[in-house]
Amino acid sequence: MIAGPLLACQAILVRDLRAVLRSRSQLYSSLLLPLMLLAVLGVGISEGLEPSSSSIRDGDYTSFLVAGLIAMTALFSSTFSSASYYQDRDSGQLRAMMASPHPQQIILLGKSLAGVAIGSLQAIALLAIASVIPGIELEWQHGVVPGIGLAVLAVLLLAFILNGFAQLVASRIRTMQGFHLVMNLLLFPLLFLSGAFFPLADLPGWLKVFATVNPISYAVDLLQIAAYADGDGHFGIVIDLIVLGILTPTVFALGIGAKHPIE
Amino acid sequence: MQSPAAPPRTAVAAEAVDVTFSYENRQALNGLSLSVAAGSIFGLLGPNGSGKTTLLSLFAGLRAPDSGSVTVLGETPSTGLRARIGFVFQESTLDPLMTVREVLAFHGKLFGMTGARARQRLDEALETVALTDRANDAVRTLSGGMRRRLELARAFLPSPELLLLDEPTAGLDPDSEKAVWAYLHERNEEGVTIIAATNKVSEADRHADAVAFVHDGRIVAQGAPPELKSGLKHDGLFVEGEFSDDEISEIKAWPEVGALRWSSPLLHLTVDSAATFVPKLFQAAGASVSAVRVHEASLEDAYFDVVGSGLDGDER
Repeated sequence: MIAGPLLACQAILVRDLRAVLRSRSQLYSSLLLPLMLLAVLGVGISEGLEPSSSSIRDGDYTSFLVAGLIAMTALFSSTFSSASYYQDRDSGQLRAMMASPHPQQIILLGKSLAGVAIGSLQAIALLAIASVIPGIELEWQHGVVPGIGLAVLAVLLLAFILNGFAQLVASRIRTMQGFHLVMNLLLFPLLFLSGAFFPLADLPGWLKVFATVNPISYAVDLLQIAAYADGDGHFGIVIDLIVLGILTPTVFALGIGAKHPIE
Repeated sequence: MQSPAAPPRTAVAAEAVDVTFSYENRQALNGLSLSVAAGSIFGLLGPNGSGKTTLLSLFAGLRAPDSGSVTVLGETPSTGLRARIGFVFQESTLDPLMTVREVLAFHGKLFGMTGARARQRLDEALETVALTDRANDAVRTLSGGMRRRLELARAFLPSPELLLLDEPTAGLDPDSEKAVWAYLHERNEEGVTIIAATNKVSEADRHADAVAFVHDGRIVAQGAPPELKSGLKHDGLFVEGEFSDDEISEIKAWPEVGALRWSSPLLHLTVDSAATFVPKLFQAAGASVSAVRVHEASLEDAYFDVVGSGLDGDER
């Protein structure tokens, strides 16, 4: 039998997952946008600009873009799921959960795990779809199975960090509109400076500094190492894992521990 | 948590002593003291904003008082104690996309209920509130009365010893209101203490064993409804008309008149005897009167008499 707090977490996780599965538009749009970018941006830049960077194999920008779009999917799905906190709060459902014999952190943990699961599943689904699209060539330099394992690990670590970060923001911002504004303001620069859309190796020094202090860069690098690159990536697998391994529990714990307004 | 370990029963189910509580810029409770007997149906009667909901949230341990003490089921309210308390909020807190069964199963899990026993309790709860045939329907398809019954079933699912109700029948039609109270009386007969915050006088008068009048964050009177009404003038009257200030002053000075409130075009007052008062009123100001309604003095009159304003907040 599962202990009380774990059972509560599981119940909230299942409830939020079920809500996303019932919301077909949310489910499809979160996958259609990266696929559309892959088709339009990937093919457009590959054919129109013919990129010559050594980090983009054979000028095939579409294949290079896969890792970045997986990170983008995890990023937006995870943070969008975190916004369900506001929906539950504004509809009164959060108060009903708070009237149960569990502290706020258990309720938030359940909701955050749901956000992590939703973000990760959608990102992994994108990887699965991308890997069977003709013309996209993934390298899997460490082998397909270890590569998939590494990619899943990168996605999970990224989703946990983003969820914790989103919960931290949610504890400070009272409205869902404000939350989305702040998250977009913060996440778009982080995404663009992560190596998701262009190789970090070719950036000028001052931009490299921003990329180096950007946690998302390490997840994108890990994804590139797992599925696309044929070398050590930008930072290297060890550095990626150390940085993400330290940041993930720290940011997630801070997010769950932050006191959120319940009304 | 499935069946909370039998705690020692206390004679007092909930108690607040000299409690204060403030929101950012508003004092909600101002030295409130109250005692609720175990096993009773207790009515908190007061207008909106008087502090009833805040008091319920303090009993549930969702907030802590700024000063004073709160004791519930013999303990200081805590997260763990909520396993023994049910709470039905004023506004619906149901997920419209979940089915009726999912709502109950989810709530049961939050209270540690799993397995065959939980499923049995869930089926019993559905049957008790007559929602068995709607078990697989989405909440959004239910009527207001059905949703309220579902919220009650949800609150009772983990077998609480104390149920906190905030405006339990707000927005319900008379038949639904009757069904809700029938269900609540059944649970009360099983030993559950019920504290219901309401601004419906008839509800408190008809169903509560004891009532407290809440005004400006304080309890201004407390007792059984007959006790609260016992000191009143016998009859209550609503007189419709257009009275001058002089006429109102004259009526107020009559010795048989108790409490009086004038909010044009309605004059609400209590008198010793309507049979002698009404002819006297017509003699003094008959031309101003357009209608008279007489009733036996009610809890609303008692509230009006004690507080000096009605439950809608109008001043005397």
